[in-house]
Amino acid sequence: MTGLVQSATPGNLAEIGALVDGFSGNISYIAGGTDLVIALEQGPRPDLIIDISRMRALNFIDADVDAVHIGAATPLSILAEHRALAAKLPVLTQAAEQVGSVQIRNRATIGGNIASAVPGGDLLPVLKCLDCRIEVLRRDKTTITRAFDEVVTGSGETSLGNGDMITRITIPLRFGANRISAFGKIGRRRELAIARLNLALLADYDSTANRINDVRIVAGAIGPVPLRLRSVERQLRGRAVDQALADDFLQALTAAVDTAIPGRISQAYKRHAVMGLGLDLLQNLFAREFTPAGWSKAQA
Amino acid sequence: MRKMEQYDDYITARRLELPVPGGSSTITLRVNEVEHQHAAPATETLAQYLRNRPGLTGLKTGCGEGECGACTVLIDDQPVNSCLVLAFQVEGRRITTIEGLESADGTLSALQQAFIDHGAVQCGYCIPGMVIASEGLLRRNPTPDDTEIRRALAGNICRCTGFLNIIKAVKSVASANARAVPE
Repeated sequence: MTGLVQSATPGNLAEIGALVDGFSGNISYIAGGTDLVIALEQGPRPDLIIDISRMRALNFIDADVDAVHIGAATPLSILAEHRALAAKLPVLTQAAEQVGSVQIRNRATIGGNIASAVPGGDLLPVLKCLDCRIEVLRRDKTTITRAFDEVVTGSGETSLGNGDMITRITIPLRFGANRISAFGKIGRRRELAIARLNLALLADYDSTANRINDVRIVAGAIGPVPLRLRSVERQLRGRAVDQALADDFLQALTAAVDTAIPGRISQAYKRHAVMGLGLDLLQNLFAREFTPAGWSKAQA
Repeated sequence: MRKMEQYDDYITARRLELPVPGGSSTITLRVNEVEHQHAAPATETLAQYLRNRPGLTGLKTGCGEGECGACTVLIDDQPVNSCLVLAFQVEGRRITTIEGLESADGTLSALQQAFIDHGAVQCGYCIPGMVIASEGLLRRNPTPDDTEIRRALAGNICRCTGFLNIIKAVKSVASANARAVPE
């Protein structure tokens, strides 16, 4: 290759197929560019940049009875403001509205969040928690569908090959009318801060019986990839929502942080911070106050 | 003080120095209702293009990674960080920079005037981004409350920490809009 970077703005998926077919160099897809443009300044450059930010076929939010489908190039500002989506999956819209700033959310996309695989990416724990399926259009024009863990494999690492493109994210709508969900994040300030820690929770909650039938909890920014907190889930499953549950939940969160990052400098901070985050989540989910056990006002 | 013409000479000189490597293609952008055509490499950011090719130096490149907001411009009325957009991505879209807010005779917009009236400008480096981000908010929502203003400006950092007067300036325009259009 000559070292020059070529650009292309295809109008549809067929045109992308024609572009990548037989192209021997490295290909980058750009949508929002909020990660890629910085990478272009710093690292090795691709031979071809394909802009997909204006492709209508990749920008949509659809729902049927048992799933929500989201186009990979859908901007986070559209996700954050989507009322029907907020009613079905508040965990996703809450995460989208806490990413970066207005300027970032207007450009950054859900597919880009996956492809960048940044450990602090706010949508990553949510998408793992919701057990999403990721549709990828491969360079050989076949389409494959993979689970979150099969695509995001490490810090900044994915299983996507050169010329592979994420096209669609499908999220199953589990637990019917019992489905509740929420997202919480701690950054250095409320806006524009990359997450130090975030939590996504999805539950099957019987509000009449006040009982958590099933639950999935995933933490982000605590390792190279989002981490499912099965030990915390076990504390909640099958239980009534009350202060005793809150106490056990917060304790289990701290224990999970201790297990995840033993000896890390941030452990001392995160094992406490996660309790505040846990309290926020409970209050967000159940709209009532819980007291952190053993905390005086001064400590809180 | 240097005269404006000297700045124009400086900008022209800078423009001539710009490398236009072979393989660049022509990028046509519509900025403030004016069409600009320049050869530029595919990796050129919108901020680099606007500042160096047509010489629209109102926007500033502060951090170059979307943290500071000094390079904010509107694309189809939506605020974005122009340092994180490649110029070729926005061909055919409507781009508004700080230079596009004043009227043809040089009269400042109500929002720009409010920044002056409220003493919202200190060193001034963040101000083009602050004004454009506020303009984007007001085009979407002419009567934002304090929380909405703060959220809309969360991506813009003022190193002089003059946030309160900036928020007051935007609030004054929002209040004027509220009076003009009774609910």
